[in-house]
Order: sequence, then structure tokens, then C-alpha cells
Amino acid sequence: MSDDRIDPSLITRRTAFLGVAGALGMSALTARLYYLQVVKAEDYTVLSDRNRFNFKTLIPERGRILDRNGVSLAVNRQDFQVMIVPEQVDDVDGTLDAISDIVPITDKVRARVKREAKRRARFIPVLVDSHLDWDAFAALNLRTPDLPGVALDVGQGRLYPHKGLFTHTLGYVGTAGPDDIAVDKDPLLRQPSFRIGKTGVEAASDKTLRGKAGRLKVEVNARGRVVREWPDPKEKPVSGDDVWLTLDADLQRHAADLFEEDSGGIAVIDVMTGELRTLLSMPTFDGNLFVSGLTAADMAAMNASEKRPQFNKVIGGGYPPASTFKMVVMLAGLKEGLIDPKEKIFCTGRVRLGNRNFHCWKRRGHGPMDLRDSLKQSCDVYYYEIANRLGIDPIHDMARRLGFGERFDIGISGQTSGIVPNDAWKQARLGDGWRTGDSYNAAIGQGFVLTTPLQMAVMTARLANGRRAVNPTLIIGQDLDGFDALDIDPTHLQLVRDAMWSVCEEPGGTAYRADSLGFGGIDMAGKTGTGQVRSISRAERESGVRSNERIAWELRDHSVFVGYAPFEAPRFAVATLVEHGGSGAGRAADISRQLLSMALSRDGVKPLSPEARL
Amino acid sequence: MSMRRSMSGSAVSNSLIGRLYEVNWLLFALVYVIGAVGVAMILAATDGVWNQGALQHLVRLLLAGGLMLTIALIDIRVWYYSAYPVYAVALLLLGAVDIFGVTVNGSQRWLDLPFIRLQPSEIMKVAIVLALARYYHDLPRRKVSTPIGLLGALVIIGVPMQFILRQPDLGTTILLVATGFALVFLAGVRWRVIGGAAIAAMVMIPLFFKYGLKDYQRSRIQTLLSPESDPTGASYHIIQSKIALGSGGLSGKGYMQGTQRQGEYVPENTTDFIFTVIGEEFGLIGCVATILAYSALMALCLFLSTQTKHVFSRLLILGITTTFALYVFINMAMVMGLIPVVGVPLPLISYGGTVILAVMTGFGLILSAHLYRGSELPRGGD
Repeated sequence: MSDDRIDPSLITRRTAFLGVAGALGMSALTARLYYLQVVKAEDYTVLSDRNRFNFKTLIPERGRILDRNGVSLAVNRQDFQVMIVPEQVDDVDGTLDAISDIVPITDKVRARVKREAKRRARFIPVLVDSHLDWDAFAALNLRTPDLPGVALDVGQGRLYPHKGLFTHTLGYVGTAGPDDIAVDKDPLLRQPSFRIGKTGVEAASDKTLRGKAGRLKVEVNARGRVVREWPDPKEKPVSGDDVWLTLDADLQRHAADLFEEDSGGIAVIDVMTGELRTLLSMPTFDGNLFVSGLTAADMAAMNASEKRPQFNKVIGGGYPPASTFKMVVMLAGLKEGLIDPKEKIFCTGRVRLGNRNFHCWKRRGHGPMDLRDSLKQSCDVYYYEIANRLGIDPIHDMARRLGFGERFDIGISGQTSGIVPNDAWKQARLGDGWRTGDSYNAAIGQGFVLTTPLQMAVMTARLANGRRAVNPTLIIGQDLDGFDALDIDPTHLQLVRDAMWSVCEEPGGTAYRADSLGFGGIDMAGKTGTGQVRSISRAERESGVRSNERIAWELRDHSVFVGYAPFEAPRFAVATLVEHGGSGAGRAADISRQLLSMALSRDGVKPLSPEARL
Repeated sequence: MSMRRSMSGSAVSNSLIGRLYEVNWLLFALVYVIGAVGVAMILAATDGVWNQGALQHLVRLLLAGGLMLTIALIDIRVWYYSAYPVYAVALLLLGAVDIFGVTVNGSQRWLDLPFIRLQPSEIMKVAIVLALARYYHDLPRRKVSTPIGLLGALVIIGVPMQFILRQPDLGTTILLVATGFALVFLAGVRWRVIGGAAIAAMVMIPLFFKYGLKDYQRSRIQTLLSPESDPTGASYHIIQSKIALGSGGLSGKGYMQGTQRQGEYVPENTTDFIFTVIGEEFGLIGCVATILAYSALMALCLFLSTQTKHVFSRLLILGITTTFALYVFINMAMVMGLIPVVGVPLPLISYGGTVILAVMTGFGLILSAHLYRGSELPRGGD
């Protein structure tokens, strides 16, 4: 019946092909599944877990920085932040407008927020503003129900309660930059809200303060959104350790008050231990501004100021030590046996060297000067003569022994070594040999000699201590032992100290004032200095040197003073430099005297036994 | 001819009850076993929330089951006569898509009708089988391998292929063409012709790859050759899909315990990538069981095809089974990273309305062809 029809049995035969093809196909699939799910199962399980789990870094609380009495210098505070979550916001601009009713938003911030909102995953909040004050935070909180996608958070922020008072020492914190991340592999640095120390103690003790990150195991989905957090952190964050400084906050505050509008630096140091009680550079600036982000205007104002607030003058400024250097020359002369304390050198007001005149500050001359009077009245001619006898090398050596030219290990950067010149230095620096005239200038702390207020304080502490070459310390816990022997003949030191006492305590001394410290029987010793900023021309000298008040601020002399007290049993040494502050007898001595007085009264003014000091 | 055929016989019950009794309920049951896997897996993929797909899938399976049964009870002659009209309507709808179609995800595949969004290419999958089955039923045996005979089949296959390729829908195109040629092969085209066609295909395929494909289609195929080259782009699907399958291991992570699934790492895991959920949560055992269920269904269909005497019925069953088998194979091979990612669902398990409708309609026709295996069909040819 079906000659002309397709033969069903042919279809059946060919159906067998179809069946075989199907069986082969299904076998291939099964084989592939066996390969994926049995042979490679472990590999894919690992990949699956890597897909699934992530660790959220928990940021540890940063250690505090405290003064010696436990007063907080750097602490953490709650930082009120406002953020937006892009995926919950319909209209970013509109939302930002609404926020800006309460917290002003600059165009720059607006652009940044929109950029980040576009670039990152849409569920990750974008920070709009931080450091909100409580009122703004509360006001925003009230409005959040009407503002979908606006998220408020309380984070950790650094706060410097004393504002600028310790900024140069403490430094400040900021987000880690690419350079930091390149050096330090700590994953904390990659956290956008983490802050590391940028300068000062914050930077120097960063490892101590930082603490250790915690890790919270979280489950994330394909887009990185956290879908589950494990209740207990795998590793709890370990808070950073506190760092205690040797500084005394009240003393530091007093020092700043004494400086008023002046610029300069001051250091108060414990004569026995080297602990710095005050380390201040003026004027200063508020480190909090750097934490919250300095505006360009603030920065420009700071940079434009002739008083250079951002510059740490007390350890980084190189100044002529001026007449405070005379103790160095004196000790060098005594050591070399080239000075007899009783010998009188006649001061006519100037000394001629070749065709040049070297003047004493007192134009009419001091007349005959012995060693004690030369320091008491700060006669320059006397020291020109000593320098003439000594040459520069003994002076250089003594200066180094007393701490000039040295960078001390106080934990923070920004120190300059200053300059203690000699022939080798001059050859290297200026390609010119040392001349006698250079020694004359150096002998009165001018010319090439440059020191920092810190070095001057160390010199004074070493003179006062007499036995040990104390080094300054700033961070409590630093090694206080192991000071080298000072190795200066005690009888020489006694002569120098006696002369320094006369400066402050005898009528006619350049820093004399009755009852110098206001403690009755307690005396101080010291030395004034007036650091020349410009050389005085012959014409000017003949027409009469203009007084400081009549020339521009930046040309006025620096006012320097070093001293220690109590004279009989030294506790504290101080060095003060007031930039362009006029004569040392004025500003610097005043500030030093008052600060020493406060330091002693805070310390109970308990003179040490005579054995303790020498 | 054979005993069996005369026994299973020309006699179809006249009563509805009788015919219901004679329906192949094993096939019916297998369809629902697989459908139930679909409901369970969609439920898992949507975190156990019933109304996000699982419920809809179940309802559709039940409604489409009614349709399947209805189609099964309708005399095969009705389907024989309506083969060409259905094909013509499907072609018209495809043409309409070309003109009025709705574009979804960059492809113009849907027609927005008042009540439903229709995907005519799904209708064409059934229609082309009907048309070819009738074509070969009517075609005299001697003409099967002649140019004229071949040309007729090529026209039936080629015209819809052109439309669907334009949408563009590579997966459906491959499916249509493969099914079409399978029917040509089953109809008994001479091996010589098949060999010639194979050689021609080897020449044509590279040319087609170069000129006939869209850029994204090319990139998908190239992705398969080096899947790790673009992990967040075109090959993301495949990498995540393999991770989900592989991490399931031998016995899986347990129902609703799939972490990749929960993390939404595998996109489209209620539709084209639902097999990854089975693989992750039930492992190799679950996957092989699924494959065996499909294989059983398809083997049954192949067996049923041998039980009917009509060329039309046989080719109808085999064509629909082939389409179905290709769906299963292409989907699974794609999920396993054996072939490029093409948008082909896993029939009865993937979420999607039109697919269920098309597949169940197909099984309805298979059941009808089987139920009426003894009926007389008009003799074609001459």
C-alpha cells in the first residue's frame, strides 16, 4: 500500500541514530559534570568560598597622647558624619541641596560626591561631610525620614583639645597617601576612614598609637554587598597604646601666653633627666584644622605670614646663639689654660684686626674686664681676645661637647643640627679657609654659628648639671640612663656658673632684676644674647645705630636668653629665643624668668641636696 | 505490518473516558516530575519566596497541562490538516515581530498583544515540526532526495530562520535549523546528500561566523575559547556558573543552602542558569538524576514514535523530541561551559511562560500522535 510512501522502518533505523546521538550527548554532559563536581570540586569550593567571604577591617581606637600629668593632648572624639547611599537616592542634587540647608556644601564637595557616587558600587555610602557639630547632626537626624538615602554615622576623629598649643610637637593625623601605603603594608592604611600620624609625635609614635586592626568575617554577594556579618569578630581590634610626653601642659600654656604675639621658640628642660617640660614654637596653628581638612585660604594665610606658624622653630630654627655662646668660649679658654680668671682685658669698644674693626656692643667700651665681668656685662672685646688666643678648634670642640651641632633623639623629626663652624666646615661649605675674623664673630655667637633653642637649652642643662651630658627626652619611657660624662673641669664650670649668676643676680648684670624669680631666696643664673640679623654698616654706625623700634620687624635683632634655677641646686634650664625681639635683656629674659618661676613652683621648689648636683 | 501495530490498533475509543484512559500517562507523569523539579528549584533560587516565580511556574504547569491533555485528545488528523495553517500563522507573527515587535534586552522577540506578551519564535518551534512532518508525509518517497524535494524542506526551514536570525536569536535559530535537518535526516535523505550537505556546512559555517553574526554573538563564542580573558564581562556568567556547579561536589550543599545562589553570583538563576542551582544544592547526584529524568522522557518519546505507522505522526514526535532534547543539551552544555552562552532555557525547569506553553503543546501533540497511532491519515504524495 505504501510503495510511494516514506518507509516507517527507515525512520525507525534512523531514529536509532537519534537515540545514540542523544545518549552520547547526555553521557558527555555527565562526564563533564563528573569533571566539575568530583575532579575539580575542591578547586571550585575554594573559589566559591572566596566569592562568598570577605573580611571587613575593624579600625582600632588610636592611642591617646598625654602630658606628664595625664592631661590629654590628643584624644579621639566622636566624629559626626553625613553620607548618602547612592542606590537609595533618586535625585542626588536635590538631596545635596536639602543637606546644604543645614550643612553648607561647596561646589567642590558636590562634584566629589557625584563623582564617587557614580564610580563606586551604589550601596556604598559616599561621605558628604564630617566633623559636623552636634546641632547640625541633630538637625539632620530630624530630617532623615524625609530624605531617603541620607545616612548619618558616628566615626572616630582625632581631637587636639589644646588646639595649637602642642601642634608642632604632636603633629597631626591624616589619611594615608600613596607614599605611606607603598612603605607600610598594614591593611589599615587602605581604609578610607583610617588616619595615620603625618608629623610630630603622631607620626613618630604611630606604630605605638595605631593599634591593630580587627577583622570581621562577612558574607558578601556578587556585587560586594554585605549580606551577613558574623556576630563575633574573628579578631577584635586592639586599641593603640597611649603615649605619655614629658611636657607639662600648664607650663606650655603659660609659655605660649608669655610669648603673646611674638614669634620664636622656648624649651624648658629638666637639668637632671633631660625631660622637656616645655617645647614650644610660636606662633602656632590649630592641628585640628589639618585633621578636618585645611581650606586653601587657611593654608595661604599660614604660608603668607612672616612669622611662619607652620615652622617648628624650637627644634628646626637655626639662630645665632649670640652672647649665650660666650660660656662655650669661656670654658674652651679655661680648658686650654689660656685664660686666667683674674686677668683683665681692656675694652675700648672695639678691636682692630687687619683693616677691620670689631665692635663691642657698648660703643664707649667697658674698660678693664675680668672673666666674671666679661660675662656679667657681656663684653664682646674680651671674647675677641680669647678667640684670638684660642683659634676656632677649641671653641668648636667645647660647643660640640655642650650639645651644639647635634640632633637629639627626641622621637620627632624636623630638627636641624645648626652649625658649629671650623676650618673644615668652612672649606667644605664656602671653599674658603678659616680666618681670625671668623673666630671673632664665632666668639660672640655670630657669624657662621647657628643653633636651635633646644640646643641652647641642652647646653644650659649640661652646664647646670655639671656631671652628665644630659640629652633631651620628649616621650616618657625613653632611656634616661647612659648619659655620657660631661668631662669638664668642675672648677671651670664653677667659674662659668658664678658669672651666669652675676648676670641675673648682681646689679649691673645684663639680666639683673631684684628677686629675679620672685621666690625670695632662690636665685637663677643665665645669659642674655642679642642676635644680629643684619650687619651694621660703618655709615650707620657713625650716624648712630637706629634703634630696633625704628626698623622693619624682620630686620630687628633676635632676643635670646638661657638660664637655669635654682642656682644652688639646679632643677630646670630654659632657653628662649624671640625672633626680632630686640635685646636679650628684654623679651627673652622676661619670658624665661617667668616660666622658670612657674616651673619651680609647680615642682614644689624643693632644692636638691648639694651632693645631687656636683 | 507487524503484530503489535495491528494490536495496539486502529481502534481508538469513541468515548472521552476511554480515550483518557489510553493517553500515555507515563509521559504525562515524567513531564510533571521534571516540572516539579522546576518549581522546587525556582523556589530555592528566590530564597524560598513562593510568589517570586515558583507559584507562577506551578500554576502555568497546571494550566499548560490542561492544554496538553486537550491537544492530546484531539484527533491527529486535525493536527495534520492544520500543520500548514499553523506554520503560516507562525510566519505571519514572526513577520509582525519584525515590524511591531517589542525590544527587550536588545533583542526584538516579543509581540505585545492585549493580554499576553507573545514570543512567536516559540510557536515556530512547534509549527516547523508540524510543517515538515506533513511535508514528508505527503512527499513521495522517491522525491525525498531530489533537488525539488530538498528545496521544499529548505524553504520550510530557511524562511523562519531568516526572521529569527534578524531578531537576533542565535539559540532559537540553531534549534530550528538543527531540528529541521534532523527531520530531513529522519525522512530518509540519502547519505550522499547528507555528506554533501556536511561539506557545504563546513564551508558555510566559518563564513556565517564572520558575516552572519552580531558582534556580541561573536564575542560570546570567542569567550568560550578563552573564558578567563574577561572575568567581569562576557565570561562572568560561565565562571560563576562553573563555580556554583563545581562547589556543589558529589552531593551538593543541601536544598536552599547554595551560597553562590544566595550571593546572587550566578545571574538569571531562575531562568537560563537554573541548572547551577541544582548543581550547587544537590551536586552530581542531583544533576545526573535530572539528566536521567530528561533521558527517560526522551527515550519514551523515541519509543512512542516507533509505535505509530504514520510518517506524519512519527516525524511529529521525533521533531518535537529533538527540539526538546536540543533545548536540554544546549542549556546544560552552556551552563557547564562546554558551548557558548546562548539564551536557551532548560525546558520545564526554567521559569518562563511561553516556553512551558510551547513545550507542553509539543508533548500534547506527541500524546495525540500516540493516542491516534492507529487512525487513518490521508495518503499524501502522487
